Amino acid sequence: MTRTITIDHLARVEGHGGIKVVLDGDQVSTVQLDVFEGIRLLEGLVRGRSLEDVTGIVSRICAICSHGHSITSLQALEDALEVAVTPQTRKLRDLAYHGANIESHALHVFVLALPDLLGHPSVISLAGVNPDAVAMALRLKKLGNTIQEVIGGRAVHPVNYVIGGFGKVPSTDDLLTLKKELSARLTDCERTLEVLRGIKVPDIVCEPIRCAALVPEDEAFFFGNCIELSDGGANKTIPVREYRTLTNEYLVPHSHAKRSANDHRSYMVGALARLTISGDRIGGMARRAWEELRLTLPATNILMNNIAQAVEMIYSVERALHLVADLLETGIAPESPLPYRVRACHGTAATEVPRGILFYSYELDSEGRVAAADVITPTAQNLNHIEDQMRAAVRQGVEAGVSDLMLEQRLAMIARAYDPCISCSVHLFRS
Amino acid sequence: MKPKIGIFGLSGCWGEQIVILNCEDQLLDILGATEIVDFLGGSSVNDEESPLAVAFVEGSVANEREEKQLRRIRERAELLVACGTCACFGGIAAMDADQPRQQIICQVYGSDGPASDWDIRPHRPLADFVKVDVAIPGCPMEKNDFLRATASILNGDIPQLPAYPVCLECKMIENDCLLVSRGLPCAGPVTTAGCGARCPQYNVVCIGCRGPVEECNITSLQKILVEKALRASEIKRKLRTFAAPALDRKEQGGSA
Repeated sequence: MTRTITIDHLARVEGHGGIKVVLDGDQVSTVQLDVFEGIRLLEGLVRGRSLEDVTGIVSRICAICSHGHSITSLQALEDALEVAVTPQTRKLRDLAYHGANIESHALHVFVLALPDLLGHPSVISLAGVNPDAVAMALRLKKLGNTIQEVIGGRAVHPVNYVIGGFGKVPSTDDLLTLKKELSARLTDCERTLEVLRGIKVPDIVCEPIRCAALVPEDEAFFFGNCIELSDGGANKTIPVREYRTLTNEYLVPHSHAKRSANDHRSYMVGALARLTISGDRIGGMARRAWEELRLTLPATNILMNNIAQAVEMIYSVERALHLVADLLETGIAPESPLPYRVRACHGTAATEVPRGILFYSYELDSEGRVAAADVITPTAQNLNHIEDQMRAAVRQGVEAGVSDLMLEQRLAMIARAYDPCISCSVHLFRS
Repeated sequence: MKPKIGIFGLSGCWGEQIVILNCEDQLLDILGATEIVDFLGGSSVNDEESPLAVAFVEGSVANEREEKQLRRIRERAELLVACGTCACFGGIAAMDADQPRQQIICQVYGSDGPASDWDIRPHRPLADFVKVDVAIPGCPMEKNDFLRATASILNGDIPQLPAYPVCLECKMIENDCLLVSRGLPCAGPVTTAGCGARCPQYNVVCIGCRGPVEECNITSLQKILVEKALRASEIKRKLRTFAAPALDRKEQGGSA
């Protein structure tokens, strides 16, 4: 006898998606994560647009990662045009990424995921019983937004990022404001730890997690030119220029999104993957959080991605403070954007945005118009992995005699653990 | 009794829901003054039936499913607020392309796969389907516009939003004019104000993300830009990035 577990419309995720699981007796026959976000075709729509216009368009792929989309797009254009940005620009972009990471992780951990762990349907009902924790999360979230506003000119869809630098470099006063805000939030990081220490992350699935992340080239944690794919002991390294050999995108009949697989197997990207691959760089309070929250890597429980996000959020507050102090000590220079020469060329870039690796690749014609664009978002890469983990959770749950209602809750929790951003339209599909 | 509120997202980038959640200093007050009963983005338990005092809707209408969803929201809501440029003007998914959308599908997704028979049209703004009571443009809408509009609505007023161009705001803060002094293709003269001329403040041209201001002279701006040695076809695409459906209507003599 077959039966189906369906979640028509997944709540507390960015965008529109649903889950369908079919069980044949105790055997799981189908696991589908459906994406029915309206198609926007942005990669096609930017064809023929000038290289100056394209970044302002692709930032609209996703609100919460708009700084990441903008900067990765610019870095792909700079790679094509052979523009090497100044150390100051690199540091300011790094700072913006830490701001984005603080904002995004504070939102996901506390507003979207924590209600699951504390048995609430939403942060609204959580605010009723624990207003202090919610107020603290909102302060941290605001800090991330303030950093993004100061560097990028707007929290959502930044305006200040241009090829070769910034429209306007932030002032010393701007950085002093950030320093004050960042210092004031360190106590909130401690409180975050207190709130999370009391939470037990449920063991709803136990399955090895294959991870991919960029290897940071220098101190900038979210930037690199090489991807590492963890495969038990045998790790694989792939240059960013050859990203297609990591993602190997293809379409599946049941779904609405291009999928990624390496050696025909899924992999996950995101905070948990980053810490698995480059976690040895984490020190300070973030390291203490890692230990106190009992994060053991490599993990076999995907829900630990929420804990990895909390650790990374604290790391980003500490790193941002360090970067601001460093910029103030060196002295901020009113640099103009670097010049470039328009010609037929192509370029590729990848960065780590809050949800994982984001790839951009452009081909430009001799007049500086986009001849081709390719964008691969973290969530598009994670879709196969989400399905694999859901499949394992259902199999293990059925073996343990878990009810269908409980399985349904677990499926939603697993999908949410990846912090999926279904709005990232370009590869995600069909009504 | 507190007014019942719904927050909905059609196709888009989730930007307006993020802006609402970005009102960190006011969020707990908003939760205190209203009852948010239907907000799939924030809650796994939602009341999808009861009448709503206000429905905030972001995103554009991509397909029949979303058209139905929008009509249902309209039936339930006393006031329907279109949030952001996608909802107000169609947004970037309604942008002009240099080739038919069906051809783009084949390029992005291959010509022989499951995508080949997908029916894709440019997205439409909410007002093409239902009556919109309040429109808050912006990509994304400005936090202050949302807060001001919400405060007005909760107090029984109809919100007053700027009906003048970004250019005016820019002049008032005495920015050097990017269009006149530097010959850059700035959309400030034809774009709805309310952002405080955000882009020119950063020495970056306005790209028209807030949609066309009610009384604007696009033909005249195009003429100036042609004089500044920009190609006419290029200018047209630039100006139609965020609000192509609204501009089509203007050309046909209607209001945006």
